[in-house]
Amino acid sequence: MKHNVIVINQLITVNNLLFSTHLLTLFLLNMNLHKLSSRLCPTVTQKFRHLHIQSSGQQLEAVAVETASAEPNPLSVFRTSEQDPAYHSERQSGQYYTFPPAHIQKLFPHGLPPRFQLQIKTFNEGCVMVRPPALELISYLKRADYSKPPLRYVLYGDTGTGKTLSLCHALHYCYTQGWLIVHIPDAHLWVKNCKELLPSSSRPSRFDQPIQASQWLKNFKITNEHFLSKIKTTQRYVWTKRESTEMGQPLGELVDQGVNRMKSSSDVVGAVLRELRLQAGGITEGEGAFKLAVAVDGVNALWGKTSLKKEDRTLCEPEELTLIHNLRKMMKNNWSGGAILTALSQTGSLFTPQSAYLPNELLGEEGFDHMEPFVPVSVSNYDEKEFESCYLYYLDRNWLQHPHSRSEEGKKELIFLSNKNPSILERLCAFL
Amino acid sequence: MAASVRYLLKPWTPSLYLVRWSRYNPYYLDPDPSKDARVLESELSPEQKELQELKTVRPIKAALSSDTSSSFNDPLISKFINMMMQDGNKILARGIMTQTLESIKRKQVEKYHKSPAAKKEEIECNPYTIFHQGLENCKPIIGLASVQKGGKSYQVPVPLTDNRRRFLAMKWMITECRDNKHRRTHMYEKLSQELLAAFANEGNVVKRKHDLHKMAEANRAYAHYRWW
Repeated sequence: MKHNVIVINQLITVNNLLFSTHLLTLFLLNMNLHKLSSRLCPTVTQKFRHLHIQSSGQQLEAVAVETASAEPNPLSVFRTSEQDPAYHSERQSGQYYTFPPAHIQKLFPHGLPPRFQLQIKTFNEGCVMVRPPALELISYLKRADYSKPPLRYVLYGDTGTGKTLSLCHALHYCYTQGWLIVHIPDAHLWVKNCKELLPSSSRPSRFDQPIQASQWLKNFKITNEHFLSKIKTTQRYVWTKRESTEMGQPLGELVDQGVNRMKSSSDVVGAVLRELRLQAGGITEGEGAFKLAVAVDGVNALWGKTSLKKEDRTLCEPEELTLIHNLRKMMKNNWSGGAILTALSQTGSLFTPQSAYLPNELLGEEGFDHMEPFVPVSVSNYDEKEFESCYLYYLDRNWLQHPHSRSEEGKKELIFLSNKNPSILERLCAFL
Repeated sequence: MAASVRYLLKPWTPSLYLVRWSRYNPYYLDPDPSKDARVLESELSPEQKELQELKTVRPIKAALSSDTSSSFNDPLISKFINMMMQDGNKILARGIMTQTLESIKRKQVEKYHKSPAAKKEEIECNPYTIFHQGLENCKPIIGLASVQKGGKSYQVPVPLTDNRRRFLAMKWMITECRDNKHRRTHMYEKLSQELLAAFANEGNVVKRKHDLHKMAEANRAYAHYRWW
């Protein structure tokens, strides 16, 4: 009961009423799969179950009945013909849809996890499973009011449950709807292993990271090429005595400035983010209006510790890095006309215990206060239907080669060894 | 009766001291951890029935901690992992083996998906069959032994036991990958390339086997120096 009370308090702090009603509808839809228990708040049960998954397989009984769609063709049990994420619904839950290759090149020059990129290369196609957390996120994006400040969505869950890929699915939806995408694939890469840490040219107590900033600007250019000529700067930016960008120049020039001149690239990133923030929802006419999607993976890096050292060998604070400082400003909800999608990550994080996965553990006090209020979306391991779908997909792609893995007993062994965790299952099936 | 059995179960030393020997009394039987060991009574031949009888009576050696009862357990692969292991770091050796199998499978499955439908059936995607077949292609049939006669030692062609052939194939594979490849490639990468080449009867290890055969063929005049 105590746990229920705490979770209810957390729910109250969320300022979106649609959240609890949508969970209720999801819960009602899943009534035939989950056991009903008479507690105070049925929505709490849903959240609670996801937070406490037992590692032993005792609670799981074999659910033989497939509640998938009644299509006669066996091949389409795990694949869906609906390739547009805008039309994905619970009907396609557990089924795979393909990313068009052109979209992968444009939208994800740096966004996909490395093992998934290997999988795309091997299978000659990029297929992602439609899962409830991503569907939830997309439904919120469809119904949000974009004249108000942006909502912050935080995907959280245990390691390897599919937070990054759910984020990529939601981003694909935003891309197909014509939004401007600002995607930081992993914020942890900006707070560690930096070869060149220069003192900032514009402000005395800050540090620049030219390589990371220019790399990100190149990828930003690839994703949003068609927007770069339409958006104009609103202020004059002075980089050095001889270089400056005038007011009213297209954004493409600003980005080229950052890519070509590595020294001021971190400040260019800050300028680009500022311009996008100011202009996202401002113009309501047809020509210049665009919605902004800010997607940050590993957002807990912004408020954690860094492993970078200054010249006097003291540890650098994340606040002192230009890139992190500008990103933090982006995370605030003092602009309008977009959404902020984030995912937590323990895997790349510094100085956090391996068992931590909840938002308040990973974000810390400072991060939680900064991000609050946010909409938490929990991502968990596969359930029976999703595991079945994944297994059939691997069989179809000729990936499960060992004869024992294709038998019933082998399947049970796979369930036992992986606990239906997506990433562990993937690594297991890789050598079987 | 009890006294004679107790004598057989005592700590045992061989009559002729060998370099590597098991401290188990030969009375002990080898363990068979696989679940498929249970076969129906009617399908067994008389020798196998006798073996089953023995198993109920005789003591059995302890199973190794690297053996599992699941059907994914492969004795040849376990042997290869043990041979690759250095300083007892089995975790690293096993990791390299799984990465090798994964990389072989990735290359073959990629080729499979990119090839036209007619050629798909010729491509072997199972890394385990590639490993087994590749190692089989590296096993020498005949070996050379050094025999001293009249003050001079001659290389005499000699038949090899199965264990020796398997050992030589694995040893050549591992030393080839460790020594003769570019220093900055990972071991699993080198192993996967060499195994795929051996599967197609190409590559340096198969070449080494052919060289051994040629030497044995060239020295066949000395074959009668062998007295065993």
